[in-house]
Amino acid sequence: MEPAAPAPASPPSTTDDGRPAVEVIVAGVQQASERKLARRENWRLIRRRPSFIIGVFIVLVWVVCAVLGSRLAPHDPLDFRAKVHLPPSADFPFGTDKTGRDVLSRVIAGARDVLKIAPAAAFLGGIFGVVLGMLMGYIGKRLDLVLSRIVEAFIALPVLLLALLAIVTLGNSAWVVLGVVAALFTPIVARTVRAAVMAERDLDYVTSAKLRGESSSFIMFREILPNVMGPIIVELTVRIGYAVFTISTLSFLGAGPPPPSPDWGAQVSEGYNSIAAGIWWTTFFPAAAIASLVIAVNLIADSVQSVLEAS
Amino acid sequence: MRRFLLKRLLSAIVTLWLLATIVFLIVNVLPGDVGRQILGPFATQESVAAYNERLGTDRPLWQQYLTSMRRLFTFDFGDSYATSSPVNDIIFPALGRSAKLAVLALIITIPISILAGIIAARRQDKFTDRAIVTAGLATSSIPEFVSAAVLMSIFCVHWKIGKVFANPPEGTSLLGQFPYLIMPALAMAVTYFGYLARMTRAGVITAQNADYARTATMKGLSRRAVMRRHVLRNALAPTITVISVQIGYLMGGIIGVEKVFNYSGLGSTMIMAVGSKDIPVLQGAVLLVGVIYMVSTLLADLLIAYLNPRVRLEGV
Repeated sequence: MEPAAPAPASPPSTTDDGRPAVEVIVAGVQQASERKLARRENWRLIRRRPSFIIGVFIVLVWVVCAVLGSRLAPHDPLDFRAKVHLPPSADFPFGTDKTGRDVLSRVIAGARDVLKIAPAAAFLGGIFGVVLGMLMGYIGKRLDLVLSRIVEAFIALPVLLLALLAIVTLGNSAWVVLGVVAALFTPIVARTVRAAVMAERDLDYVTSAKLRGESSSFIMFREILPNVMGPIIVELTVRIGYAVFTISTLSFLGAGPPPPSPDWGAQVSEGYNSIAAGIWWTTFFPAAAIASLVIAVNLIADSVQSVLEAS
Repeated sequence: MRRFLLKRLLSAIVTLWLLATIVFLIVNVLPGDVGRQILGPFATQESVAAYNERLGTDRPLWQQYLTSMRRLFTFDFGDSYATSSPVNDIIFPALGRSAKLAVLALIITIPISILAGIIAARRQDKFTDRAIVTAGLATSSIPEFVSAAVLMSIFCVHWKIGKVFANPPEGTSLLGQFPYLIMPALAMAVTYFGYLARMTRAGVITAQNADYARTATMKGLSRRAVMRRHVLRNALAPTITVISVQIGYLMGGIIGVEKVFNYSGLGSTMIMAVGSKDIPVLQGAVLLVGVIYMVSTLLADLLIAYLNPRVRLEGV
């Protein structure tokens, strides 16, 4: 933040509420630097929360599984030469599935797809959502009115339903799943960002930047954005959790990334019909994997949220 | 009050129209040839064209849009691609079966989560509070089909309580259906417990720290009376909103649960429609869920207005 930003050609001497412009500019710059310090302090507090540490640990375990994959798995996840439906044992700790494949190896291999697609979908939806929400909140007026209605209409339906509809018409490739989930997350993120931006846009640092003659896009993305990063980060982490939730449900319903990718949701879908026959391990372990990953992501999101809300 | 109601109704209709438009756009404008999608990659170009003509998917988009809007307002979605029977004959009976499941889930989850939320708020930052909040966070983040599969493994198979197949035989009395429906309903209840409990907790904490609650305590009302007459009335507004939103979302989660328990409700109907690329059925079902969401949020707004005169007089 340079306090010596070039002054506009003919600087107005007072702001809308009648205060001297110079005073507002100085106050605004001060406010901006105070907020920077507060953000650093928050990050320190977040890192010390036990739920954050546990969440990060679990996510890291799955990241290691995704990266090392076949080098970590005791068997080839596609090798079906073992006996079918073997219960968990020393050789096959999670048992084997109905075609004799090692469940543990498939659970490890399944981490890769979900850890690629889910964060990518959340980030893509996040970027679009931030831009859209920023425009709605900062530009406002008629644009906001129209876009708000559309956002509301999108939010009126479970993401899962619209995703199913879209994937049926587009076909289910990994790219389609990624794009559809990102598109459906966009209005949700936009709504959060809009609310946060509206709370900021009349603060001194924004007025100060306006008086200095900064462009709207500079104010939106260089001045306001760092200050609404808190809610955005919370929303993003929550979205990653929901992306795992949505994508695994889609693949359970047969609308996820196509086989032979050993996706957790697809594994549950292959196994759940055998539960009644007492064969629980083919379903339980991939289901537990999904549960552990979504819970971990939500633990992270929750600790970020509680620190930011307390400050 | 009447202006408030009218305003809400109008905005619900606008939202529904936009929703129908979104659904139309997803189905029609996104690249993807409907006939090709249904008939598969090996069908000849002629048969795909003939199929599109029969479905009306070869007409100009604006004509299809008008048809689709007319269908929305008459609530007639035409015939299923897969079975040729009217969509309404498929989705409404299925909705009835899903509604039974959803209502049972709500009956289980609403009192328990509101109670848990109140207890957590009263014990704020103590162990009980932490336990309830963490449990709520965990259960609400797990997809419904996962909790359904886990509950089924534990209760239906290991302990032999509840049925693996949730479809009760024809002619079972409403009470007799209970053992069939309880496990899938529980799987849904588990997911919604977290949201409701956390929302109630937040509402109660805000309300019990508010000035009016302090005034009520100062004027000598008992804790119980303060809670019932002042705190809960205000605290439950966000909870009611969440419940109404959840009723729409229940219909998303129900798909997975119905599949796990082989229950033939709206969710299974949608999965079958996905499998056979039966777009009219899917479109009808999705819009039906949208209507349910609109109606339930509208009812929630009315209930909140009834509980809180500030809302109905200002007409927010």
